[in-house]
Amino acid sequence: MISFTLNDETVTTDDTPDTPLLWVIRDTFKLKGSKYGCGAGLCGACTMHVDGVAMRTCVLPVAAVAGKSITTIEGLGTPDNLHPLQAAWIEHNVPQCGYCQSGQIMSAAAMLATNAAPSADDVDQAMSGNICRCGCYPRIKKAILATADKTDLATEAQA
Amino acid sequence: MSQHTTLTRRHFLKTSSIAGGGLVVGFSLMGCGDTSPALRSAEGTMAPNAFLQIGTDNTVTFYCPRDEMGQGASTGLATLIAEELDVAPWHFDVQWAGVHPDYNNPDFGVQGTGGSTSLKAHYEQLRQVGANTRAVIIEAAAGLLGVNASQLSTDDGHVISGSKRLPYGDFVNAAALLQAPEQAPLKPPHGFKYIGKDFSRIDAMAKATGTAEFGIDVDIENLHHAVVKRCPVAGGTVATYDATAALAVAGVSDVVEIGSGIAVVAQKYWAAKKGLQALEVQWQMPKLASVSTADVKRDYQAALGVADDQALIGSEAGDLEQGFAEADHIVEGEYWAPYLAHAPMEPMNAIVRIENGEADVWTGSQGVGAAQGLVARYAGLAKENVRSHNTYLGGAFGRRGTLTHVIEATQVAVATGKPIQVLWSREDDLQSGVYRPASLMQVKAGVTDEGKITAWQATRVGGNISPETMANMMPALLPTAVGDGTIDWVVGLADSAFKGWVVDGSSVEGLAEDYDTGSHQVRHTTVDHGLPLTFWRSVGHSYTAFAKETAIDELAARADIDPVAFRLKNLTQNPRLQNVVRLAGEHMQQMQVAPGRALGFAAHHSFATDVAEIAEVSVSDGKIHVHRVVCVVDCGIAVNPDVVRAQMEGAVMYGLTAALHGNLELEKGQVVESNFHNYPILRMDEAPEVEVIIVDSGTSPTGVGEPGLPPIAPAVANAVFAATGQRLRSLPLQLA
Ligand code: FES
Ligand code: FES
Repeated sequence: MISFTLNDETVTTDDTPDTPLLWVIRDTFKLKGSKYGCGAGLCGACTMHVDGVAMRTCVLPVAAVAGKSITTIEGLGTPDNLHPLQAAWIEHNVPQCGYCQSGQIMSAAAMLATNAAPSADDVDQAMSGNICRCGCYPRIKKAILATADKTDLATEAQA
Repeated sequence: MSQHTTLTRRHFLKTSSIAGGGLVVGFSLMGCGDTSPALRSAEGTMAPNAFLQIGTDNTVTFYCPRDEMGQGASTGLATLIAEELDVAPWHFDVQWAGVHPDYNNPDFGVQGTGGSTSLKAHYEQLRQVGANTRAVIIEAAAGLLGVNASQLSTDDGHVISGSKRLPYGDFVNAAALLQAPEQAPLKPPHGFKYIGKDFSRIDAMAKATGTAEFGIDVDIENLHHAVVKRCPVAGGTVATYDATAALAVAGVSDVVEIGSGIAVVAQKYWAAKKGLQALEVQWQMPKLASVSTADVKRDYQAALGVADDQALIGSEAGDLEQGFAEADHIVEGEYWAPYLAHAPMEPMNAIVRIENGEADVWTGSQGVGAAQGLVARYAGLAKENVRSHNTYLGGAFGRRGTLTHVIEATQVAVATGKPIQVLWSREDDLQSGVYRPASLMQVKAGVTDEGKITAWQATRVGGNISPETMANMMPALLPTAVGDGTIDWVVGLADSAFKGWVVDGSSVEGLAEDYDTGSHQVRHTTVDHGLPLTFWRSVGHSYTAFAKETAIDELAARADIDPVAFRLKNLTQNPRLQNVVRLAGEHMQQMQVAPGRALGFAAHHSFATDVAEIAEVSVSDGKIHVHRVVCVVDCGIAVNPDVVRAQMEGAVMYGLTAALHGNLELEKGQVVESNFHNYPILRMDEAPEVEVIIVDSGTSPTGVGEPGLPPIAPAVANAVFAATGQRLRSLPLQLA
């Protein structure tokens, strides 16, 4: 039995400890927003936050997250309560097929959490682990930079 | 968008009345006879015949006849109906249509999505459906309000009568009793409210929140997961296998032999995967097992060498000999394009459940009818007893027209009696797939000192796409009663036809059509080593444009004329492409090019659309860097301009992956590349800025999903020539 926090709730699984977190989330907890793309840590479709850090969960055994806090795309925001990045994704018409986008958004959210005002190069750097076969890169980049700008303004306004 | 119930009319009306009544509009598009405005019940089919359902609560459900693979068809098609129905498309509830002839692709006559046809094929039809529906609602409203229909107007799902604004839902029960017109007048384009306007795709919210349901996400009761070990060489079969170790893995419930190999089944995917690793299989290798890339290249080269005697002649015009005699310069080049995989982000998968003589299939495919047909054939059921449920497609690019995974899921479900999801790994996708054919092409062309092309001879050697696609589609589309032997016979006939009698159009499309060449000849020799082939985004154009547009650049250089001016001079018969080239050329002159960078130009007509692209490129450390791409496109009316821009951007990226990285190697018949480390996909740090300029030509829509791709590889290659003087004639592009 392995316990961890999933989107703010404590959960327990009896999946074998070597099961990648991705499959525990998808098959056992039935959250389907995180995707399988390569199973080898090469595409980022499976990205979730583990204690706030973006991780490739297709190669992360569930044993490694015992006691940790996992956030999936479902925990980041919902249609009724969008994360600013999700709102920007819609505004900039980012998704095409959409399959990679949960992973893209999770990677972007983790980056913005540590770097609120990234440069275009910072974005390239942080996002180059996420493949989009549909080629949405220019829009992903625009949406991230626009979100960072807005969030910056918000912080300044508060200050 | 998940629930699809396939319904007879009786069932449907019952459902409707539970939901409080409403208007269901179906149009018999295939001459099926019944033109009732209520849902036509086609006896013996299992799908509603309708594009629209409007509830008394004013909800508008749109049954989308084409598949959404990222190309924006669901937004675009909804926009067509919405324009004439006068309801904002973002208020639509979009559902995937079930299988019914009314949902056929008007361009294909079957229910398939591809060939950049969706908006083009449905442009008239769906606007007419919207207009007819609006007209019957107005008629009903006029009756109920006791006014003349001409005194009523509409706005976003409401009938406007004087100062009153009444929802369509108030009138749908009355409208359902009336006969809808068949040819209600359509708006002139200048009156469009939604067509031609930018707004967010209607699937953007679902896709930004992880709530869009792809095939891989579907879950049903007691679902079991299957993974399949297939012969590492396509066409190989199982010799012997030992299931003992696999069955010993905790959670594995079944190990069964199916057509493509051995399937391991478990309640959870990971257990099945571990079982697969423990499985021992010996294979009976096919002939392909003796073939490596070097053999393919050698055989193609040999065929090119004897093309004068042996090639089939495709299109030809004018006197080639005279054309070459008139030329001041003759340019000759050979061009290579390798096998490629589509590698959509969502690997192939399908769920099949067979129960009480009926079956359900869930898969994101480019042919919801083909999925139904395959399940029927391999489960031994009549088609009408198979419900085919579509989902969002996590990318397709031609790959999701071949549904081996549906056959596999059916066979495993039959063998185990369990509801089965088959999921391919990325390795399966790259190594057991269907591929863009490799091609060796030769262009020999003559040009005068003044820059007029006088002769154009283009030859292609490689395998053919059409017979293989036919082989894949026939078992799906023909009645179950047509036996496999008959299908094999017809497919074999087509195969030998394309080898010996007639050139497969898909193999050579784009090699010689665009320019005024004075005289031309297209030749083809089929050499096929047996790797399975299929459509890949932009099909033949994906490689022919590379040969053609590089050769054009070579001719321009030889005649010492600016490449854009040279194209304009030789495009007089093709005014739409000429216009696109002219606009792109004017744009190119304004571009500020950073020192150390160079521009390359290419243009191509495909899927009825004209595209010119400019690539800004630099070369450093032996690597090609693409910094910026400008794309000028004439696709007629851009139904949603931002979707058109996105498709051009995406096609540029997809084409750049092919131009800079795309390569599959065969080693003893086996595809060497296995995952994204050795089949790299363009990533953000390599992605150029893309500027898209849409030419406002006002004609009916033409293709959008594919035409942005063909020009990018030659544009980059031509830019590399401008930067370095190196002429690259082999894909992926590599500096000497
Ligand atoms: S699925 Fe995890 S990185 Fe690709
Ligand atoms: S949107 Fe299709 S892979 Fe990114």
